[in-house]
Amino acid sequence: MTELLAQTFVNGINIGALYGLITVGLSLTLGVMKILNIAHGEFLMVGGYFAFWLFKLFNIDPFLSLPLVAIALFLLGGLFYRILLAGVARFHEEVKLKNSLLIGFGLFLIFPQIAITLWTADERAITPAYSGGSLPILNVRVAYVPFAGVIVAIVVILFLHLLLKKTYFGKAVRGTSENWKAAKLMGINVDRTYLITFALGVAMAGLAGVLVGLTQSITPDVGMSWTLKALIVVVLAGIGSVGGAFFAGLILGVVESVGAIFMGPYTVALGLLIFLLILMFRPQGLFGKS
Amino acid sequence: MLDVDHIDVYHGDLQALWKVSLQIGNGERVSLIGANGAGKTTIVESISGLLTPVDGSIRFHGVRIDRMPTHKIVELGICLVPEGKGIFPGMSVFENLELGAFIPESRKIKGKTLEFVYDLFPILQSRKNQISGTLSGGEQQMLAIGRALMSKPKLLMLDEPSLGLAPLIVKNIFRVIQQISESGVSILLVEQNVRIALGITQRAYIIENGRVGMHGNSQSLFNDEQVKSAYLGTSRG
Repeated sequence: MTELLAQTFVNGINIGALYGLITVGLSLTLGVMKILNIAHGEFLMVGGYFAFWLFKLFNIDPFLSLPLVAIALFLLGGLFYRILLAGVARFHEEVKLKNSLLIGFGLFLIFPQIAITLWTADERAITPAYSGGSLPILNVRVAYVPFAGVIVAIVVILFLHLLLKKTYFGKAVRGTSENWKAAKLMGINVDRTYLITFALGVAMAGLAGVLVGLTQSITPDVGMSWTLKALIVVVLAGIGSVGGAFFAGLILGVVESVGAIFMGPYTVALGLLIFLLILMFRPQGLFGKS
Repeated sequence: MLDVDHIDVYHGDLQALWKVSLQIGNGERVSLIGANGAGKTTIVESISGLLTPVDGSIRFHGVRIDRMPTHKIVELGICLVPEGKGIFPGMSVFENLELGAFIPESRKIKGKTLEFVYDLFPILQSRKNQISGTLSGGEQQMLAIGRALMSKPKLLMLDEPSLGLAPLIVKNIFRVIQQISESGVSILLVEQNVRIALGITQRAYIIENGRVGMHGNSQSLFNDEQVKSAYLGTSRG
């Protein structure tokens, strides 16, 4: 039983790191721009397919394609911001949130259709030669690829954390998130800050997509389920803490994974139950400020 | 240095300013006084580019700024300390000051400016690692002014810096504003406390219902019977 639990725990960490990574991007745009990007998971799908293409057509190792996907999705995110969101970002908070939801739902309807046209509705997975391998540690199997995924997630999140804490740009992002008007009066180009923030969030979704393609599979309709997971983790973590979002992702991963032993097919409800309990008893989230 | 020429400004469909004109010279201290809702804040927000006039023009050292985005106007040397301070409450005092020096030119000399600001407000130095939201009201106002100075403005606009502060702290803040002015920075002060405003500035504009009413030398406005009865509450008439 302990072995089973330990193995389940490791699996939970593996999936939880992905939850964390997908959430950090969503939480960043929500916290800084006050827009909720319902299409966040769609960008995960695009990132996953992009890495799949690079692997299938050009034989590029998925871990090497990570920086390529990050750059491509960063540019894609910037483009989407310019075309769809720059106009919305000017409105006050309530209008902004509502309009961003509508835009997000629009993208959620369009993206899967485009994906079906480009990649068909088949499940696609990125399967390099080493993808089945694992290392036994004390009767627990630590699979290489998911483990590397955890490392990638940690590195990316650490990078974002340092960017926000240490650099002038990062401080401008935090300032803008706390008081955009004051940020403008300090000479910060708020529109550009929004653009880069949104693009960073999209790039992080893309990176998560590569890891999803490696450890699970990508289908055209995979986006919404990941957006929903990210929403649960955002509520769990509270807005505004990069590290918090990651840890909350790990918590959800482990809870789901361990819960699956006892609850079988009803595990999905477990995440939603946590979602409700947090909203009822700690609406600011585990790591958020009230 | 600043020339506001017949601007009309709207809040949505509502006209807030009618043909407002005012000038500020190099190193001058000017105040805008008037009742709540008269349009004083709208004027400074228009100058700093948060609002855009539909008619008229605003020039700074001859350059038209009324269509410029706010960050460009800050780069030219106009900085506004907004009403209600507008600090970044979750960030430390030091980080707030750092962001004050965001524009490239002031970033280069931020060490020196920081010394100047700490000189004016020693309390900010001793509190530099404190989260700024936990400062007292007076300290937050000092931080807001100090942060604005970090951008090395040529024109500093202050919107109601005395709002909600104890008299002793207000006195201290106005003493510092005087010092800032003596270092060569022009001051545009929006103030409801007419007595203080006229006392510290050289010229004043009285704003009434979105229009410029009387304006001129602060001292003579202070002695004017009409101003006395309307704003100072000292006249018998």
